[in-house]
Amino acid sequence: MNRVFITGMGVISAIGNTVAENHRALIEGNCGITKSMNVPSRYAGVLPFGEILLPTEALKERLKTEDPAITRTTLLALHAFNEAVADAGLSAGQLQSPDTALVGATTVGGMCLMDEFFSDANKSSGGSVFLSSYDCASVNMYLQAHYKMKGVVNTINTACSSSSNAILFGARLIRNGLAKRAIVGGSDSLSKLTINGFNALHILSPEVCAPFDRDRQGLNLGEGAAFLVLEGEETLTETSSAGNTPTAGNKKIYATLSGYCNTNDAFHPSSLSGDGPYLSMKGALESARLQEGQIDFINAHGTGTENNDAVESSVMQRLFGTPPPFASTKSNVGHTLGAAGAVEAVYSILSLDHQEIYAGLNFQEPIPDTGLRPVQAYRKMPLEHVMSNSFGFGGNCTSLIFSKA
Amino acid sequence: MFYIRQAACISPQETFSETKIDLSQEYEPKDNKMKALEPSYPGIPQNILRRMAKAVRMGVGTALPLIRGAGAISGTPAADHSVSGTPVADHPVSGSSAAVDVGGPMPAGIIIGSANGGMEESVKFLKQIVEYKEEMLTPGNFVQSIPNAISSQISLLSQNKGYNTTHVHRGLAFEYAVIDAGMMLKEHPSESYLVGGVDEIATYHYNLEYLKGSYKKEPLSGKRLYEVDSPGSIAGEGAAMFLVDNNKAGASAKLQGIITLHSEDEAAVTGLLQEFLNRHRAATGERPDLFLTGENGDARIRHFYDACEATLDQALQNTTTDNLVAGNISPHSTSGNNIIVARYKHMSGEYPTATAFALWIACQALSGLTLPLHMIKRPGPAGQKGIKNVLIYNNYKGRQHSFMWVSAAE
Amino acid sequence: METAQLRQRLKEQIIEFLNLTSLTPDKIKDDQPLFGDGEGLGLDSIDSLELIVLLNREFGIVIKDPKEGRKVLVDVNTMVAYIEQHRTK
Repeated sequence: MNRVFITGMGVISAIGNTVAENHRALIEGNCGITKSMNVPSRYAGVLPFGEILLPTEALKERLKTEDPAITRTTLLALHAFNEAVADAGLSAGQLQSPDTALVGATTVGGMCLMDEFFSDANKSSGGSVFLSSYDCASVNMYLQAHYKMKGVVNTINTACSSSSNAILFGARLIRNGLAKRAIVGGSDSLSKLTINGFNALHILSPEVCAPFDRDRQGLNLGEGAAFLVLEGEETLTETSSAGNTPTAGNKKIYATLSGYCNTNDAFHPSSLSGDGPYLSMKGALESARLQEGQIDFINAHGTGTENNDAVESSVMQRLFGTPPPFASTKSNVGHTLGAAGAVEAVYSILSLDHQEIYAGLNFQEPIPDTGLRPVQAYRKMPLEHVMSNSFGFGGNCTSLIFSKA
Repeated sequence: MFYIRQAACISPQETFSETKIDLSQEYEPKDNKMKALEPSYPGIPQNILRRMAKAVRMGVGTALPLIRGAGAISGTPAADHSVSGTPVADHPVSGSSAAVDVGGPMPAGIIIGSANGGMEESVKFLKQIVEYKEEMLTPGNFVQSIPNAISSQISLLSQNKGYNTTHVHRGLAFEYAVIDAGMMLKEHPSESYLVGGVDEIATYHYNLEYLKGSYKKEPLSGKRLYEVDSPGSIAGEGAAMFLVDNNKAGASAKLQGIITLHSEDEAAVTGLLQEFLNRHRAATGERPDLFLTGENGDARIRHFYDACEATLDQALQNTTTDNLVAGNISPHSTSGNNIIVARYKHMSGEYPTATAFALWIACQALSGLTLPLHMIKRPGPAGQKGIKNVLIYNNYKGRQHSFMWVSAAE
Repeated sequence: METAQLRQRLKEQIIEFLNLTSLTPDKIKDDQPLFGDGEGLGLDSIDSLELIVLLNREFGIVIKDPKEGRKVLVDVNTMVAYIEQHRTK
């Protein structure tokens, strides 16, 4: 079947506004999680968040948009989308082609504007400019209209695994002949809704999160956006002299999406038992036709909650015996919810592209039951295949495998 | 694309087969809202039902009769896993999820389209945030507020660990669920999938839509929905689920194809219709007998429906003679401008995934159910005998368009 | 408020707060486990977080750690005893 390649990337997060900035920050082990005062909640300055330090007005200026109805979530998406599309060298004509799909994800959408939402929802006439900006679809509807896109434009929301599912849906559109290329990813901004939702579940950490640490206390929410440009092998026409690797002129090929799988844990609305993650990882290996021993590195879901990290460690041992090196980047940028899968896909691909792995921050002592230690220092390393995992509320589990092209 | 084995629908009409299907009743909107007639949901344990948002209830209520859980664990003593803690006992089922044994083959995945699912729960949670100033909030509403609560509850109750996703792209959310299922069945041809569309009328969301001009300003009877020349429609809600696979034997209908478009240009829409028609007629030699449209009484977008009817009439009339001569015409074909035109939004109300209701109606028509007169905009010459091909067209707010071709499973 | 009254009132509040529509106070035994199926009421971990909020809103009791909360939320008897000892409202 038509192989799917990544030819462009864009990302904005608490550790950088571009792929290059994020890359440098990962190498240096920078943590972008702070008790910032800018977060739209009474927990600003109290709880740590992975906030992007660009205020919304500054984002609008940078992106040269005067649309009064645009939300922060959409601005972050636009920012990352632009970078990815420019990186892949897609023309305006290609963006508008019916063969180009956009599959994005978000959990917050325009609900970052909670006060405006409440005000509008209680009015009997009038209403703000944001009336059509609150739902999850508003982000991709904006991108579709802005770029006059004529192909498939879709939005997925499966909580924390959303943008991983957007990536795999886009890949499948290409492999099923419904698109030649797909811009896939996700975006989420910090909102009172999610901050209070996670706080009500008692899974926010009062300090910077410590994924896989014995004394971890929960997760930190973050905001971010990331997009990948996926292109089908048949679309990339030139082949290199080696014969097997398409290079398509000047277009860079970062990696191939060689495997993916989505499953459901079917256990509890907001915690995991382990079957879902096990089946998604195993299924991704099967779809990539790889053995466990061929995975060189895992970008773990690793939120820092008691439940996730315990279950994820235990499942990694169950599947791999001795797991390959692994780490979570959520201690760099926080849990970016609908953007997490895509942000972590970019980080996984950076690892592959530069043949290196990044330190998992804030780890001290392993979880006693498993004794597993994430990677604790940056190093260069030969990498052929990297797995990236995202496990969401409702038991939604997705594993992606990226491989050297 | 795929065969539809079974379908179930909860709507503002009598459409739920577990109680009774009777489309002749024509229930009316109240204050321009068509609320769904909900059953008592005997298949959902009380302990779980009490927490469910309406969209989740309707979604689960239509799904459970269709899917059957291998490995369902009804009555297993529950063990609880704390949300933030580690397992306290080695049972796979938490206290709130005594799985329901609904008996039969397990689909390989659950694919849902829902634009507003969970919206009401979001608002309840936001109200708590405001009232209690972000302190000491109950998490139940938040957990139910995420649209994938529908697919995950179905999964939980049937212990289905397969592919599970939720498409939320407004007026095409159900269509992308269908496309997703179609791709899954190409990739895994021996499996079956549950695919559905669910949305609810959430109070605050209704208010927002009202402010946007989506609904009529004055209360309106469903019987006059298509007569009043004014903007807006009436609000609706419902759930329709379909068990789909690649097996013709025992199927009730076949989805031949689906196509979507984002556009405000009428010519682009009629061009797409022409292309869709040509493609399917070339592939099957058939022509549609019934044109089921999502005309919703909104005067601003009626022109799309008028243009599509005209395009269809023209296309079918133009090729009638050619086909007769070429011997291509199907014995079931109706001649050019006598294609039956029917409408359904006075029954379902307008909501982003209302095309799921339309697909359910199409399945009923293809199974021999005579559509009630109140649905018929233009009758055919032979009444509704021998409907073999249904073309469904809908647009949401004049911007998101879809066509589906559904035929008898022969 | 006397213990018997508190017990009755608490059962009504639990039913209302957790939307246990199929139950009435007389159907909840004082020593019936709140969690677990079988003999228990079948509540789960999300309910335990909700009951912690109930204790705060109705009785001014603050329980910060959900694991501590589970020690209190065994049955109506343990809840009543804890309320009588720690209530500020």
